[in-house]
This record gives sequence, C-alpha cells and structure tokens, in this order.
Amino acid sequence: MSNKTEVWQGTLALMVLKTLNAMGPQHGYGIARRIEQTSENLLSINHGTLYPVLLKLEQEGSIASEWGMSENNRRAKFYRITKTGQKQLAAEVKQWEQATEIVARFVTMKGIKA
Amino acid sequence: MKRTLRRVWNRLLGSVRRPNADSDLAEELESHVQLLADESIRRGVPPEEAYRRARLRFGSIEATKESYREQRGLPALDHIAQDLRYSFRAMRKNRGFAAVAILSLAIGIGSNAAIFSVVNSVLLRPLPFEEPDRIFAVRELVPQINPRESIPVNPLHAQEWAKQCPSLEQVALMAGARAQITAGGEPASILSARIPHNLLGLFGVAPVLGRTFLREEEQEGKNRVVMISEPLWRSRFNADPSLIGKTIVLNDQNFQVVGIIPEWFRLPFGGGMEATAPNVPFEILFPLVIGKDQLRPMGNFNYGAVAKLRRGATVEQALAEINVVQARFPAQAGSKMDLKATMIPVQELVTGRARLGLWMLAGSVGAVLLIVCINLANLFLSRIASRKREAAIRTALGASRGRQFRLVLTESLLLALTGGALGVLLASWLLPLLLTATTMDIPRLHEVKLDSTVLGFSFGLTVLTGLLFGTLPAWRLTRNDPQEALRAGSHTVTEGRGGLRLRQGLISMEVGLSAVLLILAGLFAGSLTRLLEVDKGFDVQHILTTDIRLSGSRYSNAGDREKLFERVLAKVRAIPGVQTAGLVTALPSKGETWVDPIYLEGDTRPGLERPLVNNRFASTGYFQTMNIALRHGRGFEESDRGRSVGILSEKAAKLLWPGESNPVGRSFIGGDDKHKVLVGITADVRASLQNEAPPTVYYPYWQSVPSGVYLVARTSANAGGAESALRAALREGDPQLPIRPIHTMEEVVDQSVAQRRFQLTLVTVFAASALLVASLGIYGVVAYSVARRRNEIGIRMALGAQRSQLLGLVIRQGMIPVVIGLGSGVVVTFLLGRVIRGLLFGVQPGDPLTIAVVAGVLLTVGVLACLIPAGRAARTDAIAALRFE
Repeated sequence: MSNKTEVWQGTLALMVLKTLNAMGPQHGYGIARRIEQTSENLLSINHGTLYPVLLKLEQEGSIASEWGMSENNRRAKFYRITKTGQKQLAAEVKQWEQATEIVARFVTMKGIKA
Repeated sequence: MKRTLRRVWNRLLGSVRRPNADSDLAEELESHVQLLADESIRRGVPPEEAYRRARLRFGSIEATKESYREQRGLPALDHIAQDLRYSFRAMRKNRGFAAVAILSLAIGIGSNAAIFSVVNSVLLRPLPFEEPDRIFAVRELVPQINPRESIPVNPLHAQEWAKQCPSLEQVALMAGARAQITAGGEPASILSARIPHNLLGLFGVAPVLGRTFLREEEQEGKNRVVMISEPLWRSRFNADPSLIGKTIVLNDQNFQVVGIIPEWFRLPFGGGMEATAPNVPFEILFPLVIGKDQLRPMGNFNYGAVAKLRRGATVEQALAEINVVQARFPAQAGSKMDLKATMIPVQELVTGRARLGLWMLAGSVGAVLLIVCINLANLFLSRIASRKREAAIRTALGASRGRQFRLVLTESLLLALTGGALGVLLASWLLPLLLTATTMDIPRLHEVKLDSTVLGFSFGLTVLTGLLFGTLPAWRLTRNDPQEALRAGSHTVTEGRGGLRLRQGLISMEVGLSAVLLILAGLFAGSLTRLLEVDKGFDVQHILTTDIRLSGSRYSNAGDREKLFERVLAKVRAIPGVQTAGLVTALPSKGETWVDPIYLEGDTRPGLERPLVNNRFASTGYFQTMNIALRHGRGFEESDRGRSVGILSEKAAKLLWPGESNPVGRSFIGGDDKHKVLVGITADVRASLQNEAPPTVYYPYWQSVPSGVYLVARTSANAGGAESALRAALREGDPQLPIRPIHTMEEVVDQSVAQRRFQLTLVTVFAASALLVASLGIYGVVAYSVARRRNEIGIRMALGAQRSQLLGLVIRQGMIPVVIGLGSGVVVTFLLGRVIRGLLFGVQPGDPLTIAVVAGVLLTVGVLACLIPAGRAARTDAIAALRFE
C-alpha cells in the first residue's frame, strides 16, 4: 500500500457529517471527493464504503436524503444534515477533540525509554 | 439511546418496506460511478478506461450492496421472513402433508382448548369469593362409624368452635329448604336455603340491592324476612327496585324482602351426606333460626358449615383447635365415641366430585395431542429425508446449521400456528356443544368460557406442539454430513438404520399412548356395563315417577297432607293402565338419606353407637310397584293404620337379630324411640348403583307424614297416555300443586350413571382418534420402509423368495414397534391404576379381559396398516425394482 491512510471505523461518519454541515446538501460522490480533497488525498476511501455509513446516519435521523440533479445533469441522491445531525456532530467533534488530546498527551509524553 | 432506538425502528421498517429499495440503491450507486467516470472523461481519459477506473475507485458494487442490505433491515427478521416464504412455498408444494398436519393439529389443539377451558374454570380459577383460600367447609367425623366419610354439622358444636377457636374468624351454618312461590307466575317450588346473618359477609358477597340479614332476625318471630336472587327478582317481579321492603307470600306466609342476591352467587352447600357439594344457585334465602332443642351435644348432625380463618392462621392450627373442642362433646352426651372434624378447602368442596374425572379427561385429550405430535414428527421426518440433498447443498453453500435448524422449525411452527388458530375456532364451536351435551355433574359449569387464559394456553400449547414435532426432524436434518449426502446419488440419499429405528421408536410411543387410552375406554365401558347389570334390588321397567312437594300453611297439618296423598294415590290407581302405585320418601338410586338408629329394648348405648339405617316412609303398594322382593312377612296394608309397625331390609334385620332367620313378629325401637312390630323383611335395595345396599328401615308414611314424597306407578307394558293421566290425577288432587317433571324409573337410574356414560363417550372418542392416528403412523412408516427397500425386495424375489415370505417379512418388521408400544402401554395403565381406581366400578385397572381385547384390536389394526404396503412389496416386479435405480 501507499502512504495513504486507511479510514478508521467510525471516523467516517464524523467526516460525512462535517462535510455535509460545511457544504450543504451533497450527493455520495461529492461527499467522497470532498473527504479526499480535505485530507489532501492522504486519505483513500473506497467510495463504496461510504454507502453503509450514509444508511446508518439516515436511519439514526442525522441526515436526510432526496433525489435531485447533479451539476452536470445526472440524477443523484442528495444528502443533507438534519437538526439531530448537527447536534450529533457537535457532540462527536467534542468527543473527538477530547480523545485526540488524550492520545496526544501520551504520544508527546517524555519518559524513560525501555 | 434515542438514536439507537430510532435506528432499530428504521431498520425494522427497512425489513418490512422493501420493494423499491434495491433498485433505488442500484440507481444511486450507478450514478456515483457515472459521476466518477464523468470526472475522468473531463480530464480526457477515454470513456472505456474512465469507467474501468471509476469502478476500481468505487470498489465492489456487489459487496457494497450486500453490506448495505445487511444494515438496512434487521438480518434476523429478514431471515425469518425468508424462512417463512420458504415454508409457505413448501406447504403449497406439499398440500397433502400440510392439510393432514393442520387438520390433525386443529383437532388436537381444539379439543385440548375446549377441555382446558372447562378445567380452568372449574378447577383452577378461584371461586369468585373474597379470599377464597381462607374459607373452609367444616364437617364432623366419628371414626367409629366411618373413619373416612364425614357427616354434616351439629349446630351446638359449630357455635362452640366459633367461640373457642382463636384461629377462626367466623363460622356460619346453612341448611337447605324449599319455598313455594305463587307471585308473578305459575306456582313453583323453589330451591332455597336458610343462612345466618354473617354468611354472605363471610364470602365477601354484598347484595345487589337492599341488605343482608341482621343478627336479631335469627330469632323466631323476627324471621319473616327474605332475600331473593336476581333472576327470580327479574322473572317474577320485573326487577322492580321498590320490591325491597315490600311483602311477598312464600309457603302461604308473608315475608318482607330485604335484599337481592347477585345472579352469580352460588352457595357451596355442604350439608349433605357426601363430603362434596354442588355450587347451588339458591334462589331464596331465609334467615336461619336454630331452636333451643337442636342445641344438644351429639344431637342432630344436619347443617352445612363454613369457617373463615383469621388472617395468618393455618388450617392445621384451626383444625387442631376445633378437635380440642370436639373432644369434649361425646363425654357431655354420655357417649364413648370419638368426635373429630375435617376441614375442606371450599374450592375442593365444590369441585371434589368432578376433579378426578376432569383431570382424567384432560390427560386423555393431552395424550391425543401428543400422539398427533409424534405422528407429525414422523411424517415430517420422511419429508425431511427427501430434502437431505437440498440441505447438503445449502450447507455446502455456507448456510449455518443454526439457520437450517431454524428453517425446519419455522415450517413446523407455521403449520402449528395455522392448526392452532383453526383449533381455537373449533374449540369455540365445540365448547358450547360440550357444555350442553355434558351430563357430568360439573359444578361452576355456567362459568366456563373461552377467555384470555384459554387463548394464552392454546397459544403456548401450539408453540410447544410446533417445537415438539419440529425439533427432531430439524436435528436429524442438520446432523448429517453434507459431503456424504452430496457424494451419494440423489436416489440413494436415504436415512440409514438409525433413522428407521427413530421412527419405530416414535411408533411405539404412539401405540403405547393409544393403548392406554383404549384400555381406559375399555375399563370405563366395563364399569358402566357392570354398574347397570348390578342387582339393584328393584325393577326399572314400566315405572313412572314424579315427586310431590308440599309447603306452606295449607299443608302444615299432617292430616291434610295425608288426605292429599291418599286422594292422589286413589286417582292414580284408577288410571287405566296403572297396575299398582305407591309413595316413598326417597327413591332408590338417589343416594342415602335420613340416617337414624334402630335398636332393641334394653340397648343402653348412645344413639350414634346403635345400628344406623336409612329411613324410608312408604305407602301401601310401594314394594309391589318397585318389585322389591319380600323375604318374609308382608308389605304395608291399610289395616296397619293405628298400629306401630315397621319393615326391615335383610341387612337391617341382621343388625338387630344376627342369629335369627325369620324375626317377623318381634319388635324393635325406631328413630322416634317408639316400639315397632316387624311385619316384613324385604330384599336389600341399593341407594346408589355403585355402592352396596345400605341397611334400611321402612315405616308406613302415615306414622309421620312427610311434606315431600315420590310417587311411583307401575304401568302395563304399553300404557301410552299414562304420563298425562298421571299429571291430570295430580291436578285433580290439588289444582294449586306445583307439578314436577314426570320420569320413567329407567331415566332416574340412567341419570345416576350419566356422568360415567359421558366420560365413557369422551374417552372413547379420544381413544378412537388416537387409534386412527396411530394406524396412519404405522402405515406411513411401513410404507416408507418398503419403498426404501424396494431394491432389496427385488433381489430377494430374484433369488426366489415367495410372495408370502415377503408379506411376512414386512409385517413382522412393521409389527415390532406395535408390540413394544402395546407392552409399554399396558405397563403404564398398571401404573395409572391406583389413580383411576376411583372412577371404576367392578373392574380392576389390570382387567385381563379389557387388556386382551385392546391388544387384539391394536394388533389387528397394526397388521391391517402393514398389510397395504406389505401387499405392495409382495407384488413387486423383481425386474422393475432392480431397474428402479
């Protein structure tokens, strides 16, 4: 494999929510591209893996979907974040920050090397 | 949490709402790939290459769809749905099997539901009283007279229990009565009871209207008050609320109505000779007045009594306290007897008589369902066997064993549930039929209905049934090794010996259960025949009977009663076709009543230690009419008027004069302490068919004219209009007399065995259906094994086996499980013997004749069931059979 990083289970949902929150309604392709772009192509995802995540978020009521037309006139399903989704996003961002902070402390900790 | 719930809900919906979801997803994924490709094309990549890259980028579309689907619904639910679809398809494909299964289950579950609703209402559901488990019937026990049979209660004793036993909260007596009512309709004689002020309160029953009795109304002079039942209030008084406080006429006397008793109220009346009592719907309640003369220790024992325990007290405590009190009475009365008491839970008092019979029926009907189950398991096993290859392929393709197991269970449960639903419908139709047809003396029958408990029971039973007959085949199916099944050709995929042995075991169980039911039916049939053939001591043919009940002030004078009886007798005797007629206070076959002592001059023992005999008061012509044989002396004659005479049954005479063969002419002392000259000795007469004849004394009725008698009339063989003539004679005797139904003596006797007959009918039906199902099972297994061994049979024939040999071979093998089952059935009946003995008469549970007949029937049916497939085997064309492969 290249130096691209695999996406961790669970973080994809956060990225999807964040993307939708920032960009407004998007279709699956748009979301996938945006994630790749944001990560400056460091992150590689199989676009297919996005769909189960979208389904889960929709079932939870965090996002809603609707058929529409893409910018180049293709029929596509558009997803948008809901009120519940925004709340969830806020909570998860907070959680994520906490987690990374904790992990960061361990990583930067100076100790006796074995 | 909320999110999780929402997700589960949406997945649930996802499982249900399916149709467009798949194409929707396909379209979405397609458009995604399209968009990816568009991008490449824009950058100048040739379209073909662009699509290839897009697909690479996207990953596997099918895998995405798969994991998407997994998440969209609930996989477990989806599997169930799939299994159900599969099962429906299987049912449609195999309609014959499905129909047999559903029908037999419907019959099995339906009859179980019907019988259970009776058992539930009668035996299991508590009586509708407040805290019924604290209420007990109390009866007295004199071990020297009979250590097992209790007797009704002496009022003084009961009063002392209430005073001296701290464990008892209250004690209430009751006594039966009759009331003649004329208001609001035809004159009628109505079942009524006399109760104390605290009885309704003890049961926690409040009047619908008005009040219950007061304590002071238990005194003579203040007791002209009455409570009537709701139905009576409706039918005779138009449910008029202003009836309370008004006066009505009963027994030609005025009574003030003070309360209306609720319609459902039944009094567990324990005042009879037997320790069980029907729940009686008394329609009129009078206050119970106990005269001073009745309050003697060891005096009369003729009241029913109920006691309510104090909260927290136990029956054992209460009984111990009562027995302490009891121990004092005999000494006070100068008797050397012991006196004890028994306490019977009121529920048992009410259901005692029906209990064993009902449990027996429930057991039988349960056995039928079990047989149905076993049979279905067997049928299912054969079907499963043909599916082995299919199952092997599924396993090879990755279906888990659990999933396969569930698939089979789904099918059996689906069948069971369909059958169960049909069964409940059947039960709702069967139950009213059963209730109207029943002649069983079942208390609380009016309470029986198909309620939620019964539905719950039926559902549970259905699921259990489905699991029961599905598990074994499911286990057989999933146990096999797919490789082996796949390697073998499709035709030879059959079960090995283990499978056959399993089915033979099932057949043994079916036959065993059927044998038990058949033997049971046989024993009941034997009991009934023997009961009807028993030497009753009287005739039943060409005898009409009815009872005459006199109540009220018009007949308070014994002379008036006697005049009426004589008038009626004369008119009845004048009817053409009536040969003889007579009166008696209690008909034979109606049970023992009026037990009083007889003794000889100089006997100083207290009353209860003297010979106790049934007392009957009869008119002239009674013995002749009933054809009761006179052993010595004569019957009553008109010339006995003014003389003090009596007639004894042989047994009674033996009690007084053990050594003498003909004591006619000697004298004894009767229950009224007066000397009687013995004028005749009669044959012994049974008071009830199943019990030995009790010693009996007869007095001329005019010595103490009773208020109720039975009229019996012997008619010539074809006296058609005798019944209406009898009615006319009664009408002429006194136009105001309530006329009670007229029966033949055959009907009276039949009524006394009706319960047995009904039980016999039901058990016979159960046993017959068991036999039918079992014979189908035998046929199925033998036919299957013949089909399986077609090859072998062909070879045997080719090698020169005779047709008769083949026939024998098949039958022999088919009969092995039948014989084993029969043997175990007989053993089970022996073990059951102790339990069912109470239901039998004159037959032992191990009756060799019954067992022999049942064995004969079962073996014959077994051979017949084997014969068809055996015949097919014998007709096998060797060449065809060998080519069959």
